[in-house]
Amino acid sequence: MGHPVTTNPFIIMMINMTVVFIVLIALSFLIQLIHKLDPTKEPEVKESAPHVEEDEMQRLIKNVKDSKTVTSADIPSEDDVPEEVIAVIMAAIAQCGINGEVRAVRIADRDNTAWKSKARSNLGSMK
Amino acid sequence: MEFIDAFTVSLQSVWNDSGFSSFTLGNGIMILVGLALLYMAFVKEFEPLLLGPIAFGCILANFPNTEFFGEEMNVMKAINYGIQFEIFPPLIFLGIGAMTDFGPLLARPWTLLLGAAAQIGVFVALAGAMLVGFNINEAAAIGIIGGADGPTSIYLAIKLAPHLLGAIAVAAYTYMSLVPMIQPPIMKALTTQKEREVEMKELREVTKFERVVFPIVSTIFISLLLPPITALLGMLMLGNLLRESGVTDRLSDTAQNSLCNIVTIFLATGTGMTMNAKDFLVPETLLIICLGLIAFMGGTAGGVLLGKVMCRATNWEINPLIGSAGVSAVPMAARVSQLVGMKSKPGNYLLMHAMGPNVAGVIGTAVAAGTMLAMLK
Repeated sequence: MGHPVTTNPFIIMMINMTVVFIVLIALSFLIQLIHKLDPTKEPEVKESAPHVEEDEMQRLIKNVKDSKTVTSADIPSEDDVPEEVIAVIMAAIAQCGINGEVRAVRIADRDNTAWKSKARSNLGSMK
Repeated sequence: MEFIDAFTVSLQSVWNDSGFSSFTLGNGIMILVGLALLYMAFVKEFEPLLLGPIAFGCILANFPNTEFFGEEMNVMKAINYGIQFEIFPPLIFLGIGAMTDFGPLLARPWTLLLGAAAQIGVFVALAGAMLVGFNINEAAAIGIIGGADGPTSIYLAIKLAPHLLGAIAVAAYTYMSLVPMIQPPIMKALTTQKEREVEMKELREVTKFERVVFPIVSTIFISLLLPPITALLGMLMLGNLLRESGVTDRLSDTAQNSLCNIVTIFLATGTGMTMNAKDFLVPETLLIICLGLIAFMGGTAGGVLLGKVMCRATNWEINPLIGSAGVSAVPMAARVSQLVGMKSKPGNYLLMHAMGPNVAGVIGTAVAAGTMLAMLK
């Protein structure tokens, strides 16, 4: 073993601490690099869906049920729509990243939907 | 008459060869020290797996005329070779690597900084040891006690100050076992109630790719930078690779169980056997034990203080209590972070968050040892 570079305890302390920090910081960059280059990682979701709390969910469901904006006599009552269905619709919308508030849910007129018409015409053409 | 003479001569010969004829007060004191350590290990359960064999080795080392380290080869001499030629500490690191989950560290790479900050204790003790008269090699070997890493302490002591091995190993393992008593008062003194109550976000998922690549890349990087610790770091990462590869379960199982247990018995017994009265009962031993405590406290404080800085810098997203886990007593130091956190706020589980700095501390202590070896060569 040869002679040490210095015998001043404080210089030794400072040099060693600096080296330890530099090595470990470099290692943390290496870890981040490994993460970036990882071909197996799942693509990151750019914007996470807003988290809806239980109370907030109940409030929103109530809003939908109390809403008078789109109710009319010729469409089925909102009372026919179960709360679970409203919750699922709102959760799906939230999952899509839309940060709005659902004001009303109604069951559409079953006889005149575009999808139904299309299906009927499609069925007719098959005959 | 001839029979009586022969009988007397034989008895005298037996007495002269016995340990009693050469038994000294120092041997008696050291056997009492060994018994006290046995009590701590088996009754108080302070690191019994390590302190038990160390204590028994200490008792064995203080029987005179055993010829353990004479010219002829025997099992005790073979065990001593394992320590003297630095065989056991890297083998222990192989087992530690196979037991260690680097996931929390990979999920939060910045926790390496906490592992680095906790090495402050090492260097404070190094400076302190030099100021009280130890030479630079001895001071470096004493300072590493603050890393709370038994195998690294032994590794560095063998290389830099082999005559202090017994005192350093005993101080290191004793303080490691006393982590739950030493750390909490320092952690509480340096943090506010609000800081201790900080809840941390869940860790991200770490892929198998990251787990497998990390030990390989870090071995290449650190070994090229600090070759003196390649044996330690290389074995640590090999053990971890065996664990994470998923195709070497048998080797991983052997490394973390059978091999690690066998080497622990040899290393701890051999370390205890360096505690003979002549080398151990010197004033320096008391100084080493005091400096070890300072190193340990300094390391804990360093980690917590950087944790506080990070807490503020990240807008209260980091609980400073995880900083104390930067000393590498795995997983004891992480458990202490969790316990102190839970006492401040029940339900605040910090264990997995603290495991990041905890395993970073293992790497940090090895890097600190490598840096000192590189400087003092």
